[in-house]
Formats: sequence, structure tokens, C-alpha cells
Amino acid sequence: MSNAPLAGIRVVDLSRVFAMPYVGAYLADLGAEVIKIDTHHAAFVDTTRTLTGPYPNNEPGEDFWNRAGTFQTLNRGKRSLTLDLRSEDGMRHLLDLVAVSDVVLENFTPRVTRRFGLDYSNMRMVRPDLVLVSNTGYGHSGPWSAFGAMASALEPTHGSGAFMGYLESGRDGKLTGSTTPNKIGNSYTDFLACWSAQLAILSALYRRALTGRGTWVDLAMYQTGVSFFGEGLLDFASNGRRTRRLGNRHPSFSPHGCYSCQGDDCWVALSVRDDEDWVSFCKAIGQPGLAADPRFADPLIRYENQDELDRVISLWTCDQPQDAVVAALQKQGVPSAPVQNAAHLLRDGHLRERGLFETVDFPQSSDMGSRSFLGRGWQLGNADVRVRGPAPDMGEANDYVLGQVLGIPQEDIQELREAQVIGEQLIGGSTPSVVPLERQLELGWIAGYEAERR
Amino acid sequence: MDLLDGIRVLELGGDTSAPFCARLLADYGAEVVKIEPPGTGDPARRKGPFAGDDPHPEKSLPFLYLNTNKLGLTLDVSSSTGKRILDRLVEDTDIVVHNFTPSESEALGVDYASLSELKPAIVAVSITPFGLSGPLRDRPATDLEVFAYSGHLFHSGDSDREPLRNALDQSWYVAGVNAATAATAALFQRLFTGTGQQVDVSAAECLATHMVQAVPYYDYMGAIKGRRPVRGSGFEELMPARDGHVVPSVQGSQPWAVVADLIGLEELKDEKFASGAGRIEHGEELMELLKMGLAEWDRRPLFEASGERRLVFGMAQDAGDLYDCPHLAERDFFVEVDHPEVGAAKYPGFGPLLHAESYQVRRAAPLLGEHNRHVYCGRLGLSDEELVQLHANKVI
Repeated sequence: MSNAPLAGIRVVDLSRVFAMPYVGAYLADLGAEVIKIDTHHAAFVDTTRTLTGPYPNNEPGEDFWNRAGTFQTLNRGKRSLTLDLRSEDGMRHLLDLVAVSDVVLENFTPRVTRRFGLDYSNMRMVRPDLVLVSNTGYGHSGPWSAFGAMASALEPTHGSGAFMGYLESGRDGKLTGSTTPNKIGNSYTDFLACWSAQLAILSALYRRALTGRGTWVDLAMYQTGVSFFGEGLLDFASNGRRTRRLGNRHPSFSPHGCYSCQGDDCWVALSVRDDEDWVSFCKAIGQPGLAADPRFADPLIRYENQDELDRVISLWTCDQPQDAVVAALQKQGVPSAPVQNAAHLLRDGHLRERGLFETVDFPQSSDMGSRSFLGRGWQLGNADVRVRGPAPDMGEANDYVLGQVLGIPQEDIQELREAQVIGEQLIGGSTPSVVPLERQLELGWIAGYEAERR
Repeated sequence: MDLLDGIRVLELGGDTSAPFCARLLADYGAEVVKIEPPGTGDPARRKGPFAGDDPHPEKSLPFLYLNTNKLGLTLDVSSSTGKRILDRLVEDTDIVVHNFTPSESEALGVDYASLSELKPAIVAVSITPFGLSGPLRDRPATDLEVFAYSGHLFHSGDSDREPLRNALDQSWYVAGVNAATAATAALFQRLFTGTGQQVDVSAAECLATHMVQAVPYYDYMGAIKGRRPVRGSGFEELMPARDGHVVPSVQGSQPWAVVADLIGLEELKDEKFASGAGRIEHGEELMELLKMGLAEWDRRPLFEASGERRLVFGMAQDAGDLYDCPHLAERDFFVEVDHPEVGAAKYPGFGPLLHAESYQVRRAAPLLGEHNRHVYCGRLGLSDEELVQLHANKVI
């Protein structure tokens, strides 16, 4: 018997881009059979297949739609069925598949969801105990419901910028809380939606196993984003405070910040939580006498004199290597960590020992070699959870799903192929133009590159 | 919501990550018992801001937000009497979630090995900065170090300045929701196997899994993604408008003419801005024009006009804007919660909406030890006399 938590669960994944496809990837890691509903018509294809990249050596290659690294990460372990949902046949086969599935993921705008008849009132007729997740920017009700959304613009809309921003010089010359919002970036909101959807699905599957009841999850990324900033919102409800932007400082830990080390764009983060940490910190930087310095002797006075404290610390960090700074602080038990980039992560010994990255070998026929896939931030002690393979080539499971799962005769499948309802090669698209890394660096799209690694 | 109806959860530790995990489980219908050390309580009770700016252990806003829908006990789990009582609670619990360090949890006997001896079906969730194994397992870290180590901090802020931390302890929130998901996966598996298991959550790794672009950029072509460029045309970035900041966007599959027409400045309609390549080439000029155009707009009217044209602009909203948001109001996002010490307030509610089910705050965050009698006498059958003894001995 399989030891994968979701063995025997079938998921139809109609979703695109980042947040929901990543949900599907995790469900596949957990052992579900996840069928990505693809299309081989370029105008409607999931853009992570064609626009997001990156490609090995920055070369898209012939079947570029199967080769992009972000697409691979977000769709690993799935199967791919192409269906042209504009055709009656395509739609009929989709609904037949839903009828033998447990979970459906979709992230069309509400208008498109209804036009395709994928709304819950229709879907539950097809499969009464279905768990349906509809992920949108703003949800299926409310005045902004019809609006589309992308994480980069959504993030400040749901309030993150009220709680982050660089310090600015105040009237007294001291650095002070900022009036200008900033962004976490990195598509942060997508992941809040992704994690929230996973929890909703697993909770829904749990109840369904006991009661036979399915459900519909109306997952608005905006509302979900707001719910992660609730403690900040309560400060308005209670005290009328609209923003709290502290730079890298902390309301009760000082020093607390991000300091430049030797080398380009190298930083160390550190926190002094209390007087005990402070004494240790002073030892770590080789100035034990500083602990008794009246400018910094207690938490309140350190908080007051943070500008000066930051200068003292920067003087110590600026000409030392990042790992030496971290090692000195860690030796004394002061919380500190390197500000890591992706190269650091992939080389990190702790993460390697924990198995965060899972190596996946691509088939010999592809020239993709073997790649490091991001796993999960949690480990189950007694379950088979892992990246089960690369993302599927376009339409690789057409024959399997239509033939074996739905029982459609081979000649009918061939007809679908000839009618371009299904297909295994992208049609109507052109090879993505890639920007050379040298130019990307000039434009500030990347911070650097290692020529030898290409 | 009753998805996890009948599930019992014990929460230990405090601050943010384990409480957020347990709150999500409670929101989905589980019965959560929160255990706090007698006297001081959850360290979050010392964390500001406070209701009415009054630093009082029952008035911490983070604490009030993170602990709705829970029962609250005090128990000194480091004492042998306390541990004996904890063991009895564990016996009729499904999930234990804590955020002790690995060595603390072993010393307290709340690690998986100890808990599963008491109850093989237990789902034992540990949330730590770096996980239960590996060379960094016992390293102390605050949210900032977790954010830094995970790769997130390197990508947050502007490329010509130091990396910028996001406030409000987001690392612990991301770890909390991941922990709740993993616990529920274990619970689902238990339906078929009958046995529980350890759930080892590393906050840093949860955040590292957000690096779905940066990691393949390096793995596939040796390129390092960094913070957002300060050059460029200003699209997809926070830009000043009349009453605050907005995020103009060219995404949303509409032609450039729709974007130019919305912002309303004639010069923007120039064909040279119509392609992505053109906007890169004429980036500086475009940014200046964009600033002029946006200076005529307030945030919400621009945002709504963009949505109506199927564009995907954003705007920087602060806490007051969100309370005033007609869309959240229509979706009944805010819920009224009455608390005996701080009175009634509108709390931000739940993210996902579920069909035909309403999100409810069944009870406000517990006062310190509020449910001692209810749980110790009602559930464990202790006598009033025993309760008094425990109190006198500072066990509760």
C-alpha cells in the first residue's frame, strides 16, 4: 500500500501562472494524480510555459514550452492533457474528467469561469462531492470581483506597504519611520494564496472523507493577503494608526538590522534581543568594553541611539567576509544569518543535509540533464512525500487520460488531434526572445551571473 | 466552518508561528487548547502594539489577533506535576503544535518520540527557525534572520540600497500556515493508516520555497536575481499618485493604448511606448511622463478605472484604507469581537470564503488561564480541591 498521503486522489488543475499551479505541484508531491489541463494553442497557453523562463543556458531550444525552469518548479510531478476549451468536445471531455476527479483548481476571472461553466453550481452537478478552488484577485463577490490581478500590483493593495519602507532622515537629523511604502516583491502574494489554498483543500478533503461533503473555496488573493497583516490592521481599529514602517529596525530589539560586509551586495542580518545578547554581541565584535558604554547600556538607550550603534556595527562588518561575521556572532549565540541569494541556497550545507532541494533526472531524450527542485518547508516523518518527476511535456498524457481514464477509443482521440482539440506541439507561437545576461545585468533585471556556470 | 470538527489541538510555545498555525486549525473548526506558562503567559502578551497603547498582558494586539477561537490554560509543563497533566491532555488530543527549540522540546518531553509513546496516533508538529535536523538546528533566530537566510530578504527592497525587511513577522506567519497544511496532510493520512507522525517545519525553508524564479535562474543559467531595479519605466513598481502610491501595470493582456488612454496623458500614446522593447529603450522618458500622468489621479479612482478596463493596477493601501474598503465590506471580511478587557472591535477575518459557510469568531483570545476550570475539571475530571492545590503550587 502506498504511503503517500494523497494516494488515490485525482486533481484536475486548470490553473495558470504561479499561485495555483504551485498548489497542484504540492498535491503531486503528496501523492495525488494531478492532471494539468494545458492547451497547445499559443494564445491561451499557461504563460509560464512560454514567457517566464529561465531556459538552460538562456537558450529556449526547440520545444521551449517544456523547458522553462520556473514552469518546471511549479508543475513538477503532474500529467498534461491538452484540451481546447473553446470546442464542445474539449469541454465535454473536461467535464467527464471532473466527474472522476476529487479536486479541481482554477484561476480564471469570474467572468471566464462562468462562461466556461466551471462555476460551483455547475461543477457540483458533475461531481457532487467535489472540492473546487476558484482562485482570483478579488473573489467571486463584491464590487471589485471582475478585476484581474497580478501579485506585483496586488501586494501593496492588500496592505504590505503600510508595514515596510526604508527609514528617512527626520527633522532632528535622526533616522525615522518612513512615509514611503515599499514591496516585499518576489510575487509574495502568490505564495500566501498558495499556502492558504493548500490548507483549505486538505481540510476539505479531511471532512469529505468523513462526511462525503465537498466544498467550494472562493479564494480571493486580495482578502487572503490582508489576513496575513491582521495584527497591523488591529492597530488602526484600536489606536487609529495607519502605518508602521520601521526600515530594518524592530520595536523592541536593538540593534536589529542588515549590515554590509566585504564584497559586492553581501549583507548580514543580526538581532540583539536583550541585555544578555548585547554582552555576547560586544564580545563577538571584540569590544567587550562596549557593553558598559552608557550610550548603549540598556535596551531603551540602545533604541534611542540606534543611528550611532549602526555606525559602530557597520565599521566592524564592512571589511569582513560575510561568513566570518556570522561565525563570530553565532559563536556567542547572537542571532545572525547571511543574507543569502539563490547561489548561496543551492550550496548551503544545512539545506543540503535537510534535503530541501531534490534532484530530478530528466529523460535522456530531453537535454535537460538533472536539475535541483525546491522541495517543501516541512517534512512528514512517516510519509512518502517528494518531487515525483519533472513537469510534464505538453500533452504527454493525452492518450493516457482520454484513453485509459475516460475510455475514449484510439480513433476518436486521433480525430481530436486532427481537429486541434488536443496536440503535443505548441501552435501559433514563436520562440521567446531571450535577453542576454550581459544586457539583463545592465537593465538591473539580475544582480549578477557566473559565466562559468552557464 | 466545521471542516476539522472534532479535532483536538494542543498548542505550546507562544509568540507567532505556533499560535498562527493553531488559530488556522481553530478557524476551520478544531478545538484548540492553548497552554501558557503560569504568571507570564505567552511572550506575545508583551508584544506591542497594545489596545489603547496600554501595555497590559491582556491588551497585546498581536496576541488578541493570533489567539481567537481558542481555550486558554496555564500550566507549568517543566514541573513534574505539570508534565503529568500535560500527558493526560495529550492522550485525548489529535495534534500537538509547538515552537520550542529542538533541545527545549526534548527536555520538556514534547518531542515526537516522547509524545508518540503516550499516543501513537499523535500528529506532533514542531515549528523551528531551521528545522529539527542539520547543523543549524539549535541556532537562535528572529524573523529577520529567518527572512535573510531563506533568500527572501536579498530580493526585498531596492537594488541600490540595503535589503529591506518586511515588518509584522511574516516568516512566522508563513511557517504557521505551512505547519497547519502539513498537520492536516498527516491527519488525512491517519484516516487510512491509524498512526500519527512527526511534522518538522522549518520556517526558513518555508520561505525559501518562494524562490521559484531565483533558484531556477541560478540553476539553469548561473544568474543571480536581485532586488527590484530602480531604473526602468516605473511600471509594476510603486509610483507616487496624488494621495499616495499606486502600481501602474502593463500586465493584463490589454494593448498599450488602453494603458495610455487610462492614464490620460497625450504623450503616452506615442507608438514608441507600445512594445515592451520600446518601453525599455525609452524607460527614463516614460517614467517622467508616467509621474506627470499619475499626479492627476487619486489611488482608488485610478485603481477602479483600471479594473474596469481589464488592466491590473494596484495601489498602496494602509490599515485605515483597508477598514474603509467597500469590497472587503461587501464580502463581510471584518468581524466584530468582544473582549472582556478591551471591549468590542472589528477584527480582520479569514482569507478563503467557503461555500455556504461563514467564518466565525466563536470566542475572543483567552484571558490568562481563563479556561483552567473548564478543561481541568470538565475534561480531565480534577476536583476543585486539586485545582486549588495546583494553583498554590504554581503549576497553573
